[in-house]
Amino acid sequence: MITLGIQGKNTFLSDVNKRSGANVLECYQCGKCVGTCPVSGYMDFPPREIMQMVKLGLKNETMMANSTWFCLTCSACSGRCPREIEIPSVMEAIRHMAIEENYINGSTKVKEIRKFHEIFLDMIKRYGRNYELRMMAEFNIRTRNLFKDMHLAPKALLKGKIPLGVKPMKSAKAIQRMYKLAEKLEKKHTGKEA
Amino acid sequence: MKKLTYFPGCSAHGTSEEFDKTVKMVMTSLDVQMEEIPDWNCCGATSAHTMSESLAYALPLRNLVLAEKLDNSTMAIPCASCYQRLKVTKVHMDDNPELCKEINSTVVEDGIYQGKVDVKSMLQYCFEDVGLDAIKAKVTKSLAGMKLACYYGCLLTRPKAITNFDSPEYPMSMDKIVEALGAKATEFDYKTECCGASFSISNTEVVINLTGQILEMAKESGADAIVVACPLCQSNLDMRQPDIEKHLGKKIDLPIFYFTQLMALAFGMPEKDLMFSKHIVPVEGALANIGKIVPEPEKVKKTRKAVEAESEAE
Repeated sequence: MITLGIQGKNTFLSDVNKRSGANVLECYQCGKCVGTCPVSGYMDFPPREIMQMVKLGLKNETMMANSTWFCLTCSACSGRCPREIEIPSVMEAIRHMAIEENYINGSTKVKEIRKFHEIFLDMIKRYGRNYELRMMAEFNIRTRNLFKDMHLAPKALLKGKIPLGVKPMKSAKAIQRMYKLAEKLEKKHTGKEA
Repeated sequence: MKKLTYFPGCSAHGTSEEFDKTVKMVMTSLDVQMEEIPDWNCCGATSAHTMSESLAYALPLRNLVLAEKLDNSTMAIPCASCYQRLKVTKVHMDDNPELCKEINSTVVEDGIYQGKVDVKSMLQYCFEDVGLDAIKAKVTKSLAGMKLACYYGCLLTRPKAITNFDSPEYPMSMDKIVEALGAKATEFDYKTECCGASFSISNTEVVINLTGQILEMAKESGADAIVVACPLCQSNLDMRQPDIEKHLGKKIDLPIFYFTQLMALAFGMPEKDLMFSKHIVPVEGALANIGKIVPEPEKVKKTRKAVEAESEAE
């Protein structure tokens, strides 16, 4: 097996490997993932560089990069990776670690992406299901960009493309309870790892 | 009669109502009885797995547990994103009983996950369980004359280890279905490129760029419409098409159909029931081609498949 990187004291590498279930050391830096990735051009560091940074134990740089937030989890990279590394799982593991350990990328785009996900999860917590129109409205309000996509509204609403209401679950309370229990579980896991 | 558990997903009550409705029409006609999971919840989509590992498994697992209370061996899901979240959860829970037990403790309803229901996308169910012959047998109004680019997006076939369905690079199941309906599927190289998915709202620039490439390639393939099997692909390609045209500086004018809308049409169901009025890009032009069979125009650009075939011949 080809292994390039700093092993031994590189706990970042072993943490990422453990959480993602992948072996980043398998990466031999061919760059096929970069050519395949539809959003690598928007990333601070494309997937190939992220893999190398993990191998070198550059924790701070990796956790602060916008790359893991731009990853669409489309799995195009892992499908073509000659070393069959689950790159999206690696990206996800790093993102989860960054959230838990409070590494915050302050760029507007990452903030907006993160805000969108938080609002989406709020909708589910409230209704058990996604309320599309309200989600869009809240996104505009909470990112202080009130008129975003407003030009789509007349057609989309008139044609019924985006309905005005939502059919909530009967037992949305079950989901609120689930959120609490899942949060506890998450704390238990990170407590273990810290 | 076949029986099937049905998970509609949130967009079935929202942006993809026409997908939900035509799935139900087509399944009734194919003699499949669908039972909806009672009081199902959102799968968590991209947001749950982006932000929290526990929620990413917990939300789909509740649906899997409830699905096991219905007495069917298979569940089919129209939305590609819901399908992927439920399938990923199923595969990981089946592989990891300890994690499964933990996640199961967040489901407040009675029931321990046993892994006895198979999870399929609606496309996979139509292709594998219903089959092309049964589909062909129902066609009363052939779609001959329509040229369609079948767009699968990223989640229906990838990652292969999870979906175990069709090719992750150049799938053909939807192409074969539309050909069973009489239409012609074009050679389309961007079948499994990502449309930008949930970035539609938070990172619109990326979506416009990616969908722009997909629409351009579909146009170049000679298609007069695109067929999809995912609500997010549909709304990104349809609702944002006027903006994409502005970005590209040219007219695209490709309506975006769900494959079940076209199945229902070919099965002879009335057009007014198929909710074409919800589409932002008008469908009339593409539908007018039905029955008009014109000789093949010369190819504008050679596709990957054609080039491969030629080099093999040499």
